[in-house]
Amino acid sequence: MNNSLFTQLLDLACGAFLLAAVVVLWRRELAAIVRLFALQGLALAAIALLLGLHEDRWDLIVVAAGIGALRASLLPYLIRRALDALVADRTRDQDGARAYTYSEEVRETEPLVNVAASLLTAAALTLLAYAVARPLVELDPTPATRALPVGLAVVLIGFFVLVTRRRALAQVVGFLLLDNGITATAFLAASGVPLIVELGVSFDVLLAVLVLQLLTARVREAFGTTDIDDLRELHD
Amino acid sequence: MSPTAFAFLLTAPAAVPLAVAGAYALAAPRTRPTAKAFVAELTGARQRASAQGSVLVAEAPEPDQVSARHGQDWAGLVSPAVILTCGSLLAADVVDDGPKAVYSGLLRADALTAWMLLVVGAVALIACGSAPAYLAGERAAGRASVRTVWRYHVLVQAFLSAMCLAVVTANLGVLWVAIEATTIVTAFLVGHRRTRTSVEAAWKYVVICSAGIALAFLGTVLIYYAARQAGIAEAWALDWPTLVAHADRLDPAVTRLGITLIVLGYGAKAGLIPLHAWLPDAHSQAPAPISALMSGVLLSVAFAALLRYRVIADAALGPDFTRVLLAGIALLTLTIAAGLLLAQRDYKRMLAYSSMEHMSLIALAAAIGSPLALSAALLHIAGHGLAKATAFCASGQILHLRGTSKIGRVRGLLAQVPWLGALFGLAIVGLLGFPPFSLFASELGIARAGFAADGGLGWVMAAALLLVLIAFAALATRATHMLLGPAPDAETAQAESPSALWPLVMGLAACTALGIATGPLGDLLTQAATVLERA
Amino acid sequence: MNTVGYTAIALQVGAVAAGAPLLTGLMRQTRALLEGRAGAGLLQPWRDMRKLLRKEPITPVGTGPAFRWAPPLLVATSLVLAVLVPLVSTVTPVHARADLIVVVALLALGTLALALAGLDTGTAFGGMGASREMTIAALVEPTILMSVFALSIPAGSTNLPVIVAGAVDQPARLTSPAGLLAIAALSVAVLAESGRLPVDNPSTHLELTMVHEAMVLEYAGPDLALVEFGAQLRLAVLLGLLASLFAPWGIATSASLTAVLLALLLVVLKVALLGMALAAAEVFWAKLRLFRVPELLAGSFLLALLAVTASYFLGGER
Repeated sequence: MNNSLFTQLLDLACGAFLLAAVVVLWRRELAAIVRLFALQGLALAAIALLLGLHEDRWDLIVVAAGIGALRASLLPYLIRRALDALVADRTRDQDGARAYTYSEEVRETEPLVNVAASLLTAAALTLLAYAVARPLVELDPTPATRALPVGLAVVLIGFFVLVTRRRALAQVVGFLLLDNGITATAFLAASGVPLIVELGVSFDVLLAVLVLQLLTARVREAFGTTDIDDLRELHD
Repeated sequence: MSPTAFAFLLTAPAAVPLAVAGAYALAAPRTRPTAKAFVAELTGARQRASAQGSVLVAEAPEPDQVSARHGQDWAGLVSPAVILTCGSLLAADVVDDGPKAVYSGLLRADALTAWMLLVVGAVALIACGSAPAYLAGERAAGRASVRTVWRYHVLVQAFLSAMCLAVVTANLGVLWVAIEATTIVTAFLVGHRRTRTSVEAAWKYVVICSAGIALAFLGTVLIYYAARQAGIAEAWALDWPTLVAHADRLDPAVTRLGITLIVLGYGAKAGLIPLHAWLPDAHSQAPAPISALMSGVLLSVAFAALLRYRVIADAALGPDFTRVLLAGIALLTLTIAAGLLLAQRDYKRMLAYSSMEHMSLIALAAAIGSPLALSAALLHIAGHGLAKATAFCASGQILHLRGTSKIGRVRGLLAQVPWLGALFGLAIVGLLGFPPFSLFASELGIARAGFAADGGLGWVMAAALLLVLIAFAALATRATHMLLGPAPDAETAQAESPSALWPLVMGLAACTALGIATGPLGDLLTQAATVLERA
Repeated sequence: MNTVGYTAIALQVGAVAAGAPLLTGLMRQTRALLEGRAGAGLLQPWRDMRKLLRKEPITPVGTGPAFRWAPPLLVATSLVLAVLVPLVSTVTPVHARADLIVVVALLALGTLALALAGLDTGTAFGGMGASREMTIAALVEPTILMSVFALSIPAGSTNLPVIVAGAVDQPARLTSPAGLLAIAALSVAVLAESGRLPVDNPSTHLELTMVHEAMVLEYAGPDLALVEFGAQLRLAVLLGLLASLFAPWGIATSASLTAVLLALLLVVLKVALLGMALAAAEVFWAKLRLFRVPELLAGSFLLALLAVTASYFLGGER
């Protein structure tokens, strides 16, 4: 693959990667958010694949396939299933009032920071990521490291989603965005961490999502909602 | 020692608890709704029903199974024993022969590893020793089913395994994986009881810790990037000794960013500002033995990771960067802990904030960074682990006895249960830093090192001591309130079972012994401090 | 060169002025056909204008110069825009003045004039429309600036003809992340600026939703004709700008008459296609609730900002 085509495709994948994170802030339906997360996983796999092809490293291509399988299909599937479980639970006893709460359960109706302000904050966070990433880019300016701010921006946006969204599953997606951002940073900076660490990290993330999924079910069992903002019993 | 034996000693602390967890999982009651088990159960029940003509067969308890299960509770002590044995053998070896690595650098033992293994083993012994009493209490109260007890054992053993892996690995990536694994494993232990409060605590715990530790991973990635750019090969770019040896070649700007993220990330796990909010919730909601493990060693294991990174940072950036960062974080954490201790009404939360106080003292010692401060910090880790584990286990029994965790509703413990009350009181006295407990020696060491250090650290130390004094007053008044006074009802005076108390006695005895004379551990402690000090 | 240049400008202005009402007619007709109606025909906007111009001018009692001068000002700014924006040729006598900032300022001037006129009437609807229009404009103008700015970074100039000529030379600029983001952002901004769905519905007078119509509610006769003509001009110019920036192929980059004529034909085609696509899309879109409009615009602003950062940082040294 020649250099300018590689750069262009890499930039394109990074742009899609960042865009998916931004649109997560925009959308309210949890189902749409999960779809966007799956798209982002694809973009991440594409980044790894491009780097693997560029450096002629087969292990990276395998890792890219693994990442695609985990982050673009398995994790979204798990969250999707948790979401469907919430819906199924509600429709079972669907009278007028219940139907209303059911529709609330699958939407991020009222985030702690409203959507317009979230989007403007995301703009500010992106600029912050560029500012913070300057020393990283200067250390070794290549097309890949020049895209490093994208990874950091997604980390910051993921953190922002985690802090400002109220639905349990939206927070889970926020955590996963954060993780995607870190993985992208690892790929762009150093073509990925060693394989054993990558495996361990993926396994941890998978387990974390399973744990959070189960906890979501328990939160709903105990509180009757997945609105994390309602969890206010423990305080000083 | 032969390399094979050494490799075995290094592998065992992580592998044995995992094996025990696996054994528990295999021996678990088959309540899984698999079709085969269901059919077997159905036919079995039908046979029994036809044989005895009774309908209630399935609900009848089976005495032999129950006693066997109580035996299982004690089987959990195998792993702490193994960890302690391996820790002491490794200690003897590394004190004489210096650090060694096996499996191409994946696992490595130096004096710090051995010291941390000993701490983990000792605290785990206390926690696993009190588990049978705790579980018996839960069974008696009808809160524990066979399934939850089984799950408790599996998760505790996995927790121990993950912590030991974090201690024995030299690969910073694996270290991160192990510490994140502790979060995942303990999530269900925190939410063990499924009440509203414990589910809330579990959610906060997982979300805050996972997000915090994700920052640490970002930091690890940046350090890896810097290492690769410094010309270190891929296989060794996350290897701690290699990084320490080549730290001067790391790019300062990237390393600074990475270290900041790592301090924030592992600091979250160690209960330091700004991601500390999970700590009081999780510690107050988890079962007492789990609180003991989390407070006693999990915080310190995360902090040991920070201590290792500090060596790299000091070599790459000079000592001032981590000094300012850690001292600032320590002071802020101490302020918050002292302030919230003053207003505390819940004794398990009180102990949790006291943990934050002690962790910030350790962070302050790390900021000072002189040999005296570092050995004092390591001694403090051990002393705090033992005393806090004892206090948490005792508080679990108090909670079981009185059914409330409000300080205001607990009075007259000494009159009602003299042994338990005395042990709880002594543990608090130890935490307050009185002699002969080892926390006295270590706090004294930290204070001396702080006033001996230059560059304004004396003032920081003075402010910290003032805050410690506030925490001291708060802890002391509340403990006095709980211990003294008349017993609530004469008829509630209960016989105390020695089986519940021996772990606590042992913990306090070990803490005292460390405070009077470090004995053979002295060399290990000095060497461990040397490991952390060289730059 | 000058004669060809002046011819190009004259052709461009003539085409915009004559074609803008036709474009509106085309869009209405497309929409009507898609909705299964017969439609009023392409020439209907021209017929409306003729009818309105014949009527007696009426101004409401108590209105001042802001109300009277707004329609001519709107038409004038739109016509100046039609002169400046490189639709047909990049080498015209005014190409040095066709700066991005000037274009955005002229757009804002027209918007401001209408908003002032809405306020000047003193009616509830006028004020409401003006306040809504300003809310939208506050986010739209920076978005347009940002997104064209993102395109100007690789060209190294904020001059529109230079940007367009650069894009003709190197089409790769448009398919870079910066280019794609800028296209998305600018499209949303153009929809909002020209008062189309989903931001504003040009064919309703429902007080809960109308923005543009609320401001011009008091106009009648020739004034109304001018206001409508101005709005049509703006839509045509903005669609033309969009076409020139993101599909610049065929625009005349040399001073030859055949190239100019071909470019004119192409630009008319491109704008007509864009208009029909927009009209078709509008059939399927619902208008956004007013309080969600800022979300859409903040989103497009964010896209534009990302485009700028992307072209600034990723583009580096290629």
